[in-house]
Amino acid sequence: MPKRKLDPLPSAAFQILLSLADDELHGYGIMRQVEEQTNGHIRLGPGTLYSSIQALVEEGLIEEVDRSPASGGGSERRRYYRLTSSGRKLARSEAERLADLLRPARAKRILRGDYV
Amino acid sequence: MSEKIFACLLLCYPPAFRRRYQEEALQLYRDRLGDEHGMVSRCRLYFDLLIDAITGLPRAWRNTYADKGAPSLTSNAEGTPSFHLLNNQPLRPASIVFGSTLSLAALSAFVFMMSLASRYPPSSTSGWSSPIESVMERLNHALPPGNEDVTTAYASAAEGASQGQLTTRIASAISIETGVAVGNTERDHVIQAAASILVAHYVDTQKAHEASDLLLIHQKRGDYDALSDGPTLAERLTQDIQGSTQDLQVAVQYSRNAIPNSPPTPSAVQHEEYRAAMMRQNCTIEKVQMLSNGIGYMKFNFFPDPTVCSEVFHRSMEQLSQSRAIIFDLRDNAGGFPGMVADVAAELFDHPVLWYNPRATPNASLLSPVPDSKLANKPVYILTSSRTFSGAEHFTYDLKMLKRATVIGEATRGGHPGAPYRVDDHFWMAVPEVRRPSPYGTLDWQGLGVEPDVKVNASDAMGTAQQLAMKSRSKWAAR
Repeated sequence: MPKRKLDPLPSAAFQILLSLADDELHGYGIMRQVEEQTNGHIRLGPGTLYSSIQALVEEGLIEEVDRSPASGGGSERRRYYRLTSSGRKLARSEAERLADLLRPARAKRILRGDYV
Repeated sequence: MSEKIFACLLLCYPPAFRRRYQEEALQLYRDRLGDEHGMVSRCRLYFDLLIDAITGLPRAWRNTYADKGAPSLTSNAEGTPSFHLLNNQPLRPASIVFGSTLSLAALSAFVFMMSLASRYPPSSTSGWSSPIESVMERLNHALPPGNEDVTTAYASAAEGASQGQLTTRIASAISIETGVAVGNTERDHVIQAAASILVAHYVDTQKAHEASDLLLIHQKRGDYDALSDGPTLAERLTQDIQGSTQDLQVAVQYSRNAIPNSPPTPSAVQHEEYRAAMMRQNCTIEKVQMLSNGIGYMKFNFFPDPTVCSEVFHRSMEQLSQSRAIIFDLRDNAGGFPGMVADVAAELFDHPVLWYNPRATPNASLLSPVPDSKLANKPVYILTSSRTFSGAEHFTYDLKMLKRATVIGEATRGGHPGAPYRVDDHFWMAVPEVRRPSPYGTLDWQGLGVEPDVKVNASDAMGTAQQLAMKSRSKWAAR
């Protein structure tokens, strides 16, 4: 069985999945959402953003939403994306994996706080 | 960065990516440009785009861009044959890794093969190649007829070969040249010059005059007039001289390439090659050993250039400083540089001695000892065979005459340290040199060899030397 492109899941792809957890977004919206949820640490450029989106679409983790220009609020055609059920499942398992990784760090008092 | 530049940057992305996302990417760029004002924000935007181009490109090329939403060709075409188009399929990472590995392996193999190649590989029938053999191999086999620069051959030979065989071998290497006409004037000049060189340098004065006269008589009769090409003339002169002197070592040789007036100084590259060859062979020192009975044993097969090997020889001899007696095994020694002969001998004295060197002018000079040499008072034995030649005979003869060594084995070969003499631009002669008296009151080894003090077969020389050394050691211990 060929190795999947998103295994392990790149952080950019993971952040895109998270950004789509609540709402359908277009490319620029995803970029801004990712920037916001990472406190400005990650600003996805067009190449990384759309390559990751393409990979996620190919893996069936997100899908394009058909929206008319009018409903998008602008004159230009923008593609909107939403999380699929498998995308949501993968985002959850990835979050749990990261939480598992962080748990011993917190137990050893290397990492403080309750955010894990 | 203007939008046009960004659009150009997008050209680096796969066509499928551009078809699908170019407009959106440009729109994203415009959005950011509209939202991010001020110098810092703009700089950050451009920096982001630059980093994005580097990190996003590989990711973009890894995608397949298969249109998942498109209905399959089969269902669309309703029974018509369908094909998968592969031209837009990106290279898989495994393929890239495999290709890179294969290329690296091929490159490594090539580099490895190149490192094995040697310009002068040691090769001889015995498997081991002395410096002389290496040089001779080059002279006799490696030179493509008519293409080798005689200057190089001369220089290499003069650099590394022994004194005796050198002349004949160089001559044979050069005589492969063929087919150049010789005019009457040059022919007459060659004959007269050859006759003069014989008289001036040949070892036997009477035979030299006889051969010289013979050449001039033939010339006068016109016997050589029909000889109009170089090799034929050289061959005929050689026949006449050898017939008169009964000495096969005298020869006239022809070279199509111009012969230099004097052996050119070896180039830095040649010197470095020689040095590397010597280091590989430990300067031809085959064995340095303290035998169980406290006797030091050293076998070396050449006296190499002292500027290269003096230190190596000095260190090797120092290893024998605790021995009670020293055996020098010269049974396979083919000669070498007179300077090194003297250097090795200088380790064996604690006072200056009159040292004979037939190739020097004057042929005797004071040899200064190596200060504080621990070998100066140890009994010395030299093993000889009928193969011991040239410089090795020089070493043996002088130490024997100075009563510094006991020679054990067979009479040495008795080589003529012949020298090449230039006749004109294309002819030269191999002539055994005039024998001059040695300061020790005897004829030297030329043509005679060095007679051993204890005559035994070469194969028995080692055992005999050890027995004598043990007795000598006892005598020494009793002192």
